[in-house]
Amino acid sequence: MASIFRTDPSTGLKIDRASENLIRWNLIAALATLAVGGLLALGVVLTRWPSVHLLPLDYYYRFLTLHGIDALLAWIIFFEIALVHFTSTVILGTRSYVPWLGWLAFALMLIGGGLINVIVLMGGADVMFTSYVPLKADPLYYIGVILFAVGALLGFIIFFINIVLSKRDGGYKRSLPLGSFGMLAASIIGVLTLAHGAAIFIPTLLWALDFIPWVDPAAYRLVFWGLGHPSQQINVSAMVAVWYMTVAFVLGGKPVNEKLSRTAFVLYILFINVASEHHLLVDPVLSTWHKIVNTSYMMHLAVLASMIHAFAIPASIEVALRKQGYTRGLFEWLKKAPWGNPAFSGMAISILLFGFLGGITGVIFGTEQFNIIRHNTIAITGHFHGTVVAGTTVAFMGFTYLLIPYVFRREIIWKGFASIQPYLYGTGVALLSIGMMSAGSFGVPRRHYDITFSGAPFSFTFDPSIDMFLSMMGVGGLLAVTGGVLYILLGFGSIIWGKKIEH
Amino acid sequence: TVEAPGVFVLALIFLAVFIIIWFAHLKWLMDIWGVQ
Repeated sequence: MASIFRTDPSTGLKIDRASENLIRWNLIAALATLAVGGLLALGVVLTRWPSVHLLPLDYYYRFLTLHGIDALLAWIIFFEIALVHFTSTVILGTRSYVPWLGWLAFALMLIGGGLINVIVLMGGADVMFTSYVPLKADPLYYIGVILFAVGALLGFIIFFINIVLSKRDGGYKRSLPLGSFGMLAASIIGVLTLAHGAAIFIPTLLWALDFIPWVDPAAYRLVFWGLGHPSQQINVSAMVAVWYMTVAFVLGGKPVNEKLSRTAFVLYILFINVASEHHLLVDPVLSTWHKIVNTSYMMHLAVLASMIHAFAIPASIEVALRKQGYTRGLFEWLKKAPWGNPAFSGMAISILLFGFLGGITGVIFGTEQFNIIRHNTIAITGHFHGTVVAGTTVAFMGFTYLLIPYVFRREIIWKGFASIQPYLYGTGVALLSIGMMSAGSFGVPRRHYDITFSGAPFSFTFDPSIDMFLSMMGVGGLLAVTGGVLYILLGFGSIIWGKKIEH
Repeated sequence: TVEAPGVFVLALIFLAVFIIIWFAHLKWLMDIWGVQ
Protein backbone atom coordinates (compact mmCIF):
# COMPACT_ATOMS: atom_id res chain seq x y z
CA MET A 1 0.00 0.00 0.00
CA ALA A 2 1.50 3.30 -1.04
CA SER A 3 1.90 5.98 1.58
CA ILE A 4 3.03 9.54 1.09
CA PHE A 5 5.73 10.75 3.45
CA ARG A 6 7.02 14.25 3.95
CA THR A 7 9.97 15.34 6.07
CA ASP A 8 9.52 18.07 8.67
CA PRO A 9 12.21 20.68 7.92
CA SER A 10 12.96 21.62 11.53
CA THR A 11 13.18 18.15 13.08
CA GLY A 12 13.78 15.76 10.19
CA LEU A 13 10.75 13.72 11.31
CA LYS A 14 9.09 11.65 8.56
CA ILE A 15 5.33 12.12 8.61
CA ASP A 16 2.92 10.15 6.43
CA ARG A 17 -0.35 11.66 5.23
CA ALA A 18 -2.65 9.22 7.06
CA SER A 19 -0.96 9.77 10.42
CA GLU A 20 -0.93 13.51 9.88
CA ASN A 21 -4.70 13.61 9.36
CA LEU A 22 -5.41 11.38 12.36
CA ILE A 23 -3.20 13.50 14.63
CA ARG A 24 -4.79 16.70 13.30
CA TRP A 25 -8.38 15.66 13.92
CA ASN A 26 -7.73 14.16 17.34
CA LEU A 27 -5.97 17.38 18.33
CA ILE A 28 -8.86 19.50 17.00
CA ALA A 29 -11.35 17.38 18.98
CA ALA A 30 -9.15 17.73 22.08
CA LEU A 31 -9.08 21.52 21.75
CA ALA A 32 -12.86 21.68 21.22
CA THR A 33 -13.65 19.51 24.24
CA LEU A 34 -11.23 21.48 26.43
CA ALA A 35 -13.06 24.65 25.39
CA VAL A 36 -16.38 23.17 26.55
CA GLY A 37 -14.83 21.67 29.70
CA GLY A 38 -13.23 25.02 30.57
CA LEU A 39 -16.50 26.90 30.11
CA LEU A 40 -18.21 24.44 32.46
CA ALA A 41 -15.32 24.87 34.93
CA LEU A 42 -16.04 28.60 35.02
CA GLY A 43 -19.64 27.90 36.06
CA VAL A 44 -18.54 25.40 38.70
CA VAL A 45 -15.80 27.54 40.28
CA LEU A 46 -18.04 30.62 40.37
CA THR A 47 -20.63 28.54 42.21
CA ARG A 48 -18.18 27.11 44.77
CA TRP A 49 -16.94 30.67 45.44
CA PRO A 50 -19.45 31.56 48.21
CA SER A 51 -19.54 35.30 47.50
CA VAL A 52 -20.61 34.62 43.88
CA HIS A 53 -22.59 31.33 44.06
CA LEU A 54 -23.55 31.65 40.41
CA LEU A 55 -25.51 28.59 39.27
CA PRO A 56 -28.85 27.25 40.50
CA LEU A 57 -28.79 23.89 42.28
CA ASP A 58 -29.53 21.52 39.39
CA TYR A 59 -27.20 23.29 36.96
CA TYR A 60 -24.31 23.12 39.45
CA TYR A 61 -24.41 19.32 39.52
CA ARG A 62 -25.10 19.16 35.78
CA PHE A 63 -22.12 21.37 34.94
CA LEU A 64 -19.91 19.51 37.41
CA THR A 65 -20.83 16.15 35.83
CA LEU A 66 -20.05 17.39 32.34
CA HIS A 67 -16.90 19.27 33.41
CA GLY A 68 -15.46 15.93 34.54
CA ILE A 69 -16.45 14.22 31.30
CA ASP A 70 -15.18 16.92 28.93
CA ALA A 71 -12.08 18.12 30.77
CA LEU A 72 -10.84 14.86 32.27
CA LEU A 73 -12.02 12.25 29.77
CA ALA A 74 -12.53 13.85 26.37
CA TRP A 75 -9.81 16.54 26.21
CA ILE A 76 -7.11 14.36 27.69
CA ILE A 77 -7.95 11.11 25.86
CA PHE A 78 -8.38 12.81 22.46
CA PHE A 79 -4.93 14.38 23.00
CA GLU A 80 -3.52 11.01 24.09
CA ILE A 81 -4.83 9.30 20.96
CA ALA A 82 -3.13 12.05 18.94
CA LEU A 83 0.04 11.15 20.88
CA VAL A 84 -0.56 7.44 20.16
CA HIS A 85 -0.50 8.17 16.42
CA PHE A 86 2.47 10.56 16.78
CA THR A 87 4.66 8.21 18.82
CA SER A 88 3.80 5.01 16.93
CA THR A 89 4.40 6.47 13.46
CA VAL A 90 6.13 9.87 13.27
CA ILE A 91 8.70 9.22 16.01
CA LEU A 92 9.53 5.83 14.43
CA GLY A 93 9.61 7.20 10.87
CA THR A 94 7.08 4.64 9.65
CA ARG A 95 3.50 4.94 8.45
CA SER A 96 0.11 4.40 10.05
CA TYR A 97 -0.68 0.76 9.20
CA VAL A 98 -4.39 0.80 10.07
CA PRO A 99 -5.70 4.33 9.40
CA TRP A 100 -9.24 2.97 8.92
CA LEU A 101 -9.15 1.72 12.51
CA GLY A 102 -7.93 5.15 13.61
CA TRP A 103 -10.94 6.78 11.98
CA LEU A 104 -13.31 4.20 13.48
CA ALA A 105 -11.85 4.90 16.94
CA PHE A 106 -12.15 8.65 16.36
CA ALA A 107 -15.78 8.34 15.20
CA LEU A 108 -16.77 6.21 18.21
CA MET A 109 -15.14 8.66 20.63
CA LEU A 110 -16.79 11.62 18.90
CA ILE A 111 -20.25 10.01 18.85
CA GLY A 112 -19.92 8.74 22.44
CA GLY A 113 -18.65 12.08 23.73
CA GLY A 114 -21.35 13.98 21.85
CA LEU A 115 -24.07 11.69 23.20
CA ILE A 116 -22.88 12.17 26.79
CA ASN A 117 -22.83 15.96 26.36
CA VAL A 118 -26.38 16.06 24.95
CA ILE A 119 -27.84 13.73 27.60
CA VAL A 120 -26.19 15.53 30.52
CA LEU A 121 -27.20 19.00 29.28
CA MET A 122 -30.78 17.74 28.80
CA GLY A 123 -30.80 16.80 32.48
CA GLY A 124 -30.79 13.05 31.88
CA ALA A 125 -27.65 12.25 33.86
CA ASP A 126 -27.10 14.41 36.95
CA VAL A 127 -25.04 11.56 38.38
CA MET A 128 -21.59 13.20 38.54
CA PHE A 129 -18.49 11.90 36.76
CA THR A 130 -18.48 8.71 38.86
CA SER A 131 -22.18 7.84 38.28
CA TYR A 132 -22.22 5.78 41.49
CA VAL A 133 -25.20 3.44 41.70
CA PRO A 134 -27.96 3.67 42.90
CA LEU A 135 -27.92 7.05 41.11
CA LYS A 136 -29.48 6.18 37.76
CA ALA A 137 -28.86 8.04 34.50
CA ASP A 138 -30.61 7.81 31.14
CA PRO A 139 -29.42 4.60 29.39
CA LEU A 140 -28.06 6.78 26.56
CA TYR A 141 -25.51 8.21 29.03
CA TYR A 142 -24.04 4.75 29.68
CA ILE A 143 -24.15 3.98 25.93
CA GLY A 144 -22.20 7.21 25.32
CA VAL A 145 -19.57 6.24 27.91
CA ILE A 146 -19.26 2.72 26.43
CA LEU A 147 -18.91 4.07 22.86
CA PHE A 148 -16.24 6.55 23.97
CA ALA A 149 -14.39 3.84 25.92
CA VAL A 150 -14.48 1.38 23.00
CA GLY A 151 -13.16 4.11 20.69
CA ALA A 152 -10.33 4.87 23.12
CA LEU A 153 -9.59 1.14 23.46
CA LEU A 154 -9.29 0.83 19.67
CA GLY A 155 -7.03 3.89 19.71
CA PHE A 156 -4.64 2.22 22.17
CA ILE A 157 -4.77 -1.07 20.19
CA ILE A 158 -3.62 0.87 17.10
CA PHE A 159 -0.44 1.70 19.03
CA PHE A 160 0.41 -2.01 19.38
CA ILE A 161 -0.36 -2.74 15.70
CA ASN A 162 1.78 0.18 14.52
CA ILE A 163 4.83 -0.63 16.67
CA VAL A 164 4.81 -4.35 15.76
CA LEU A 165 4.66 -3.61 12.02
CA SER A 166 7.09 -0.70 12.34
CA LYS A 167 9.73 -3.05 13.80
CA ARG A 168 9.19 -5.37 10.82
CA ASP A 169 9.84 -2.41 8.51
CA GLY A 170 12.94 -1.27 10.40
CA GLY A 171 11.37 1.67 12.26
CA TYR A 172 13.42 0.72 15.32
CA LYS A 173 15.87 -2.04 16.20
CA ARG A 174 15.84 -3.35 19.77
CA SER A 175 13.63 -1.09 21.83
CA LEU A 176 11.34 1.84 21.23
CA PRO A 177 12.58 5.41 21.63
CA LEU A 178 11.78 6.65 25.14
CA GLY A 179 8.83 8.87 24.12
CA SER A 180 7.22 5.93 22.34
CA PHE A 181 8.10 3.64 25.27
CA GLY A 182 6.18 5.98 27.59
CA MET A 183 3.16 5.80 25.31
CA LEU A 184 3.56 2.00 25.23
CA ALA A 185 3.18 2.03 29.04
CA ALA A 186 0.17 4.35 28.66
CA SER A 187 -1.40 2.03 26.08
CA ILE A 188 -0.90 -1.11 28.19
CA ILE A 189 -2.48 0.61 31.21
CA GLY A 190 -5.16 1.94 28.84
CA VAL A 191 -6.24 -1.55 27.76
CA LEU A 192 -6.39 -2.78 31.38
CA THR A 193 -8.27 0.33 32.42
CA LEU A 194 -10.87 0.23 29.67
CA ALA A 195 -11.49 -3.46 30.37
CA HIS A 196 -12.55 -2.40 33.88
CA GLY A 197 -14.78 0.24 32.28
CA ALA A 198 -16.54 -2.37 30.14
CA ALA A 199 -16.84 -4.71 33.14
CA ILE A 200 -18.80 -2.13 35.12
CA PHE A 201 -20.60 0.08 32.59
CA ILE A 202 -22.19 -2.79 30.62
CA PRO A 203 -23.96 -4.26 33.71
CA THR A 204 -24.92 -0.73 34.79
CA LEU A 205 -26.44 -0.08 31.34
CA LEU A 206 -28.44 -3.33 31.65
CA TRP A 207 -29.62 -2.16 35.08
CA ALA A 208 -30.63 1.24 33.66
CA LEU A 209 -32.60 -0.62 30.98
CA ASP A 210 -34.28 -2.74 33.72
CA PHE A 211 -32.82 -5.98 32.33
CA ILE A 212 -31.17 -6.73 35.67
CA PRO A 213 -32.69 -5.70 39.01
CA TRP A 214 -29.68 -4.45 40.93
CA VAL A 215 -26.02 -3.45 40.80
CA ASP A 216 -24.22 -3.71 44.13
CA PRO A 217 -22.95 -0.22 45.07
CA ALA A 218 -19.78 -1.55 46.72
CA ALA A 219 -18.96 -3.78 43.73
CA TYR A 220 -19.64 -0.84 41.41
CA ARG A 221 -17.16 1.38 43.30
CA LEU A 222 -14.52 -1.36 43.40
CA VAL A 223 -14.61 -1.99 39.64
CA PHE A 224 -15.25 1.66 38.69
CA TRP A 225 -12.00 2.69 40.37
CA GLY A 226 -10.22 0.04 38.33
CA LEU A 227 -11.22 2.38 35.50
CA GLY A 228 -11.07 5.71 37.32
CA HIS A 229 -7.62 5.64 38.88
CA PRO A 230 -5.50 3.67 36.40
CA SER A 231 -6.83 6.02 33.71
CA GLN A 232 -4.99 8.77 35.59
CA GLN A 233 -1.85 6.68 35.16
CA ILE A 234 -2.45 6.68 31.41
CA ASN A 235 -2.36 10.45 31.82
CA VAL A 236 0.81 10.37 33.91
CA SER A 237 2.62 8.05 31.48
CA ALA A 238 1.55 10.20 28.52
CA MET A 239 2.57 13.36 30.38
CA VAL A 240 6.01 11.96 31.22
CA ALA A 241 6.44 10.80 27.59
CA VAL A 242 5.64 14.39 26.55
CA TRP A 243 8.24 15.70 29.04
CA TYR A 244 10.95 13.44 27.53
CA MET A 245 9.96 14.37 23.96
CA THR A 246 9.88 18.10 24.75
CA VAL A 247 13.42 17.97 26.21
CA ALA A 248 14.58 16.16 23.08
CA PHE A 249 12.86 18.51 20.61
CA VAL A 250 13.53 21.84 22.35
CA LEU A 251 17.00 21.26 23.82
CA GLY A 252 18.30 18.16 22.05
CA GLY A 253 18.54 16.61 25.53
CA LYS A 254 18.94 12.89 26.13
CA PRO A 255 17.84 10.89 29.18
CA VAL A 256 20.65 10.68 31.74
CA ASN A 257 19.97 6.97 32.25
CA GLU A 258 17.61 5.45 29.74
CA LYS A 259 17.39 2.06 31.50
CA LEU A 260 16.30 3.76 34.72
CA SER A 261 13.63 5.78 32.90
CA ARG A 262 12.30 2.65 31.18
CA THR A 263 12.24 0.81 34.52
CA ALA A 264 10.18 3.66 35.98
CA PHE A 265 7.57 3.25 33.23
CA VAL A 266 7.42 -0.50 33.99
CA LEU A 267 6.82 0.34 37.68
CA TYR A 268 3.75 2.32 36.59
CA ILE A 269 2.36 -0.69 34.74
CA LEU A 270 3.02 -3.12 37.59
CA PHE A 271 2.01 -1.15 40.67
CA ILE A 272 -0.35 1.66 39.89
CA ASN A 273 -3.53 -0.33 40.22
CA VAL A 274 -2.85 -1.17 43.86
CA ALA A 275 -2.86 2.55 44.67
CA SER A 276 -6.40 2.77 43.29
CA GLU A 277 -7.60 1.55 46.65
CA HIS A 278 -7.32 5.03 48.16
CA HIS A 279 -10.73 5.71 46.57
CA LEU A 280 -12.21 2.96 48.76
CA LEU A 281 -10.63 3.88 52.09
CA VAL A 282 -13.93 4.73 53.80
CA ASP A 283 -15.79 1.81 52.21
CA PRO A 284 -16.61 -1.04 54.62
CA VAL A 285 -15.86 -3.72 52.02
CA LEU A 286 -12.10 -4.17 52.30
CA SER A 287 -10.27 -4.88 55.54
CA THR A 288 -8.03 -2.31 57.23
CA TRP A 289 -5.10 -4.69 56.68
CA HIS A 290 -5.85 -4.77 52.94
CA LYS A 291 -6.13 -0.98 52.75
CA ILE A 292 -2.88 -0.38 54.64
CA VAL A 293 -0.85 -2.88 52.58
CA ASN A 294 -1.98 -1.26 49.35
CA THR A 295 -2.07 2.43 50.16
CA SER A 296 0.56 2.78 52.89
CA TYR A 297 3.15 0.48 51.34
CA MET A 298 2.58 -0.74 47.77
CA MET A 299 1.57 2.74 46.58
CA HIS A 300 5.14 3.93 47.08
CA LEU A 301 6.40 1.64 44.31
CA ALA A 302 4.34 3.68 41.85
CA VAL A 303 5.40 6.91 43.59
CA LEU A 304 9.03 5.81 43.13
CA ALA A 305 8.47 5.78 39.37
CA SER A 306 7.23 9.37 39.37
CA MET A 307 10.16 10.45 41.56
CA ILE A 308 12.62 8.86 39.10
CA HIS A 309 11.06 10.73 36.16
CA ALA A 310 10.74 13.98 38.12
CA PHE A 311 14.48 14.00 38.85
CA ALA A 312 15.72 12.39 35.61
CA ILE A 313 14.06 14.89 33.28
CA PRO A 314 15.35 18.09 34.96
CA ALA A 315 18.76 16.36 35.08
CA SER A 316 18.65 15.79 31.32
CA ILE A 317 17.69 19.47 30.88
CA GLU A 318 20.66 20.53 33.02
CA VAL A 319 23.09 18.26 31.16
CA ALA A 320 21.81 19.54 27.79
CA LEU A 321 22.12 23.20 28.80
CA ARG A 322 25.57 22.70 30.37
CA LYS A 323 26.67 21.22 27.03
CA GLN A 324 25.51 24.48 25.44
CA GLY A 325 28.00 26.32 27.65
CA TYR A 326 25.89 27.39 30.63
CA THR A 327 28.27 25.97 33.21
CA ARG A 328 28.77 28.79 35.73
CA GLY A 329 27.74 27.86 39.27
CA LEU A 330 24.90 25.56 40.18
CA PHE A 331 22.08 27.34 38.39
CA GLU A 332 23.29 29.32 35.37
CA TRP A 333 21.69 26.67 33.15
CA LEU A 334 18.37 27.27 34.91
CA LYS A 335 18.53 31.05 34.42
CA LYS A 336 19.51 30.71 30.75
CA ALA A 337 16.89 28.06 29.89
CA PRO A 338 14.49 29.06 27.07
CA TRP A 339 11.77 30.38 29.38
CA GLY A 340 10.15 32.37 26.56
CA ASN A 341 9.49 29.21 24.55
CA PRO A 342 5.98 28.05 25.60
CA ALA A 343 6.83 24.41 24.80
CA PHE A 344 9.70 24.53 27.31
CA SER A 345 7.94 26.66 29.94
CA GLY A 346 4.81 24.49 29.69
CA MET A 347 6.90 21.40 30.39
CA ALA A 348 8.87 23.06 33.23
CA ILE A 349 5.72 24.43 34.93
CA SER A 350 4.10 21.02 34.54
CA ILE A 351 7.05 19.26 36.25
CA LEU A 352 7.19 21.84 39.06
CA LEU A 353 3.46 21.88 39.83
CA PHE A 354 2.95 18.15 39.33
CA GLY A 355 5.71 17.47 41.87
CA PHE A 356 4.96 20.06 44.53
CA LEU A 357 1.16 20.32 44.27
CA GLY A 358 -0.09 17.04 42.84
CA GLY A 359 2.65 14.63 43.84
CA ILE A 360 3.27 15.44 47.50
CA THR A 361 -0.45 15.74 48.25
CA GLY A 362 -1.23 12.55 46.34
CA VAL A 363 1.18 10.51 48.43
CA ILE A 364 -0.09 12.00 51.69
CA PHE A 365 -3.83 12.09 50.97
CA GLY A 366 -3.69 8.60 49.47
CA THR A 367 -2.13 7.00 52.55
CA GLU A 368 -4.63 5.03 54.63
CA GLN A 369 -3.75 6.67 57.94
CA PHE A 370 -3.76 10.26 56.64
CA ASN A 371 -6.68 9.86 54.27
CA ILE A 372 -9.41 10.13 56.87
CA ILE A 373 -8.60 13.81 57.56
CA ARG A 374 -8.96 14.65 53.84
CA HIS A 375 -11.38 12.12 52.36
CA ASN A 376 -14.23 13.73 50.39
CA THR A 377 -13.09 17.25 51.25
CA ILE A 378 -12.32 19.83 48.58
CA ALA A 379 -8.63 19.17 49.36
CA ILE A 380 -8.95 16.06 47.17
CA THR A 381 -10.22 18.25 44.33
CA GLY A 382 -7.20 20.49 44.95
CA HIS A 383 -4.91 17.44 44.71
CA PHE A 384 -6.18 16.20 41.37
CA HIS A 385 -6.21 19.67 39.86
CA GLY A 386 -2.52 19.63 40.83
CA THR A 387 -2.00 16.40 38.87
CA VAL A 388 -4.27 16.25 35.82
CA VAL A 389 -4.55 20.01 35.29
CA ALA A 390 -1.33 21.62 36.56
CA GLY A 391 0.56 18.51 35.44
CA THR A 392 -0.99 16.76 32.45
CA THR A 393 -2.98 19.59 30.88
CA VAL A 394 -0.12 22.11 31.15
CA ALA A 395 2.30 19.56 29.63
CA PHE A 396 -0.13 18.88 26.77
CA MET A 397 -0.60 22.63 26.23
CA GLY A 398 3.17 23.06 25.95
CA PHE A 399 3.46 20.16 23.49
CA THR A 400 0.70 21.67 21.34
CA TYR A 401 3.10 24.51 20.49
CA LEU A 402 5.36 21.86 18.93
CA LEU A 403 2.64 19.71 17.33
CA ILE A 404 0.99 22.55 15.41
CA PRO A 405 4.15 23.44 13.43
CA TYR A 406 5.09 19.75 12.97
CA VAL A 407 1.68 18.39 12.00
CA PHE A 408 -0.39 21.33 10.75
CA ARG A 409 2.64 23.03 9.16
CA ARG A 410 1.51 26.37 10.59
CA GLU A 411 3.41 28.88 12.68
CA ILE A 412 2.04 29.79 16.11
CA ILE A 413 0.26 33.16 15.98
CA TRP A 414 0.61 35.91 18.63
CA LYS A 415 4.01 34.70 19.82
CA GLY A 416 4.06 37.18 22.72
CA PHE A 417 0.76 35.87 24.09
CA ALA A 418 1.90 32.29 23.46
CA SER A 419 5.01 32.84 25.57
CA ILE A 420 2.95 33.98 28.60
CA GLN A 421 0.08 31.48 28.22
CA PRO A 422 1.65 28.61 30.25
CA TYR A 423 2.54 31.06 33.07
CA LEU A 424 -0.98 32.50 33.15
CA TYR A 425 -2.65 29.10 33.16
CA GLY A 426 -0.12 27.55 35.55
CA THR A 427 -0.41 30.40 38.07
CA GLY A 428 -4.21 30.19 37.93
CA VAL A 429 -4.30 26.43 38.49
CA ALA A 430 -1.71 26.68 41.29
CA LEU A 431 -3.85 29.26 43.14
CA LEU A 432 -6.99 27.19 42.51
CA SER A 433 -5.33 24.03 43.80
CA ILE A 434 -3.75 25.63 46.90
CA GLY A 435 -7.03 27.42 47.71
CA MET A 436 -8.96 24.15 47.46
CA MET A 437 -6.46 22.22 49.57
CA SER A 438 -6.39 24.92 52.24
CA ALA A 439 -10.20 25.07 52.43
CA GLY A 440 -10.30 21.27 52.51
CA SER A 441 -8.03 21.24 55.54
CA PHE A 442 -10.89 22.98 57.39
CA GLY A 443 -13.28 20.24 56.31
CA VAL A 444 -15.02 22.01 53.41
CA PRO A 445 -16.68 19.18 51.44
CA ARG A 446 -16.20 18.50 47.73
CA ARG A 447 -19.10 18.29 45.23
CA HIS A 448 -21.26 20.39 47.53
CA TYR A 449 -23.66 23.06 46.31
CA ASP A 450 -24.15 25.14 49.46
CA ILE A 451 -21.67 24.94 52.33
CA THR A 452 -23.66 27.55 54.30
CA PHE A 453 -26.42 24.90 54.61
CA SER A 454 -29.08 27.58 54.21
CA GLY A 455 -32.55 26.27 55.03
CA ALA A 456 -31.18 23.06 56.54
CA PRO A 457 -32.68 21.86 59.87
CA PHE A 458 -29.19 21.78 61.40
CA SER A 459 -26.65 24.57 61.13
CA PHE A 460 -22.90 24.28 60.79
CA THR A 461 -20.38 27.08 60.50
CA PHE A 462 -16.92 26.56 59.07
CA ASP A 463 -13.84 28.42 60.27
CA PRO A 464 -14.17 31.95 58.80
CA SER A 465 -10.75 31.65 57.13
CA ILE A 466 -12.26 29.39 54.47
CA ASP A 467 -13.73 32.48 52.78
CA MET A 468 -10.21 33.64 51.98
CA PHE A 469 -9.18 30.21 50.67
CA LEU A 470 -12.31 29.79 48.54
CA SER A 471 -11.78 33.32 47.17
CA MET A 472 -8.21 32.28 46.32
CA MET A 473 -9.70 29.27 44.52
CA GLY A 474 -12.10 31.56 42.65
CA VAL A 475 -9.41 34.03 41.57
CA GLY A 476 -7.17 31.13 40.53
CA GLY A 477 -10.04 29.62 38.56
CA LEU A 478 -10.66 32.89 36.72
CA LEU A 479 -6.94 33.19 35.90
CA ALA A 480 -6.85 29.59 34.69
CA VAL A 481 -9.93 30.08 32.50
CA THR A 482 -8.28 33.21 31.03
CA GLY A 483 -5.14 31.18 30.28
CA GLY A 484 -7.32 28.39 28.88
CA VAL A 485 -9.21 30.76 26.57
CA LEU A 486 -5.87 32.14 25.37
CA TYR A 487 -4.65 28.57 24.67
CA ILE A 488 -7.80 27.73 22.68
CA LEU A 489 -7.51 30.98 20.68
CA LEU A 490 -3.81 30.36 20.02
CA GLY A 491 -4.49 26.73 19.06
CA PHE A 492 -7.41 27.26 16.69
CA GLY A 493 -6.00 30.61 15.51
CA SER A 494 -2.68 29.02 14.55
CA ILE A 495 -4.40 26.08 12.83
CA ILE A 496 -6.64 28.40 10.77
CA TRP A 497 -4.64 31.60 10.32
CA GLY A 498 -1.05 30.65 11.20
CA LYS A 499 1.56 31.39 8.55
CA LYS A 500 2.11 28.30 6.39
CA ILE A 501 5.48 26.60 6.85
CA GLU A 502 6.76 25.92 3.34
CA HIS A 503 9.63 23.61 2.50
CA THR B 1 31.10 12.72 38.61
CA VAL B 2 27.83 14.59 39.26
CA GLU B 3 26.33 15.31 35.86
CA ALA B 4 23.54 17.53 37.16
CA PRO B 5 24.59 19.17 40.45
CA GLY B 6 21.86 21.83 40.20
CA VAL B 7 19.11 19.24 39.96
CA PHE B 8 20.72 17.34 42.85
CA VAL B 9 20.20 20.43 45.03
CA LEU B 10 16.67 20.97 43.68
CA ALA B 11 15.85 17.32 44.45
CA LEU B 12 17.03 17.78 48.05
CA ILE B 13 14.78 20.85 48.38
CA PHE B 14 11.83 18.87 46.99
CA LEU B 15 12.44 15.99 49.39
CA ALA B 16 12.74 18.42 52.33
CA VAL B 17 9.38 20.01 51.47
CA PHE B 18 7.87 16.54 51.03
CA ILE B 19 9.11 15.34 54.43
CA ILE B 20 8.02 18.54 56.23
CA ILE B 21 4.47 18.32 54.84
CA TRP B 22 4.35 14.57 55.56
CA PHE B 23 5.31 15.07 59.21
CA ALA B 24 2.93 18.04 59.55
CA HIS B 25 0.11 15.68 58.60
CA LEU B 26 1.40 13.04 61.02
CA LYS B 27 1.41 15.64 63.83
CA TRP B 28 -2.14 16.62 62.87
CA LEU B 29 -3.26 13.00 63.00
CA MET B 30 -1.54 12.40 66.35
CA ASP B 31 -3.29 15.46 67.80
CA ILE B 32 -6.65 14.06 66.67
CA TRP B 33 -5.81 10.66 68.16
CA GLY B 34 -4.59 12.30 71.36
CA VAL B 35 -1.16 10.68 71.05
CA GLN B 36 1.48 12.59 73.02
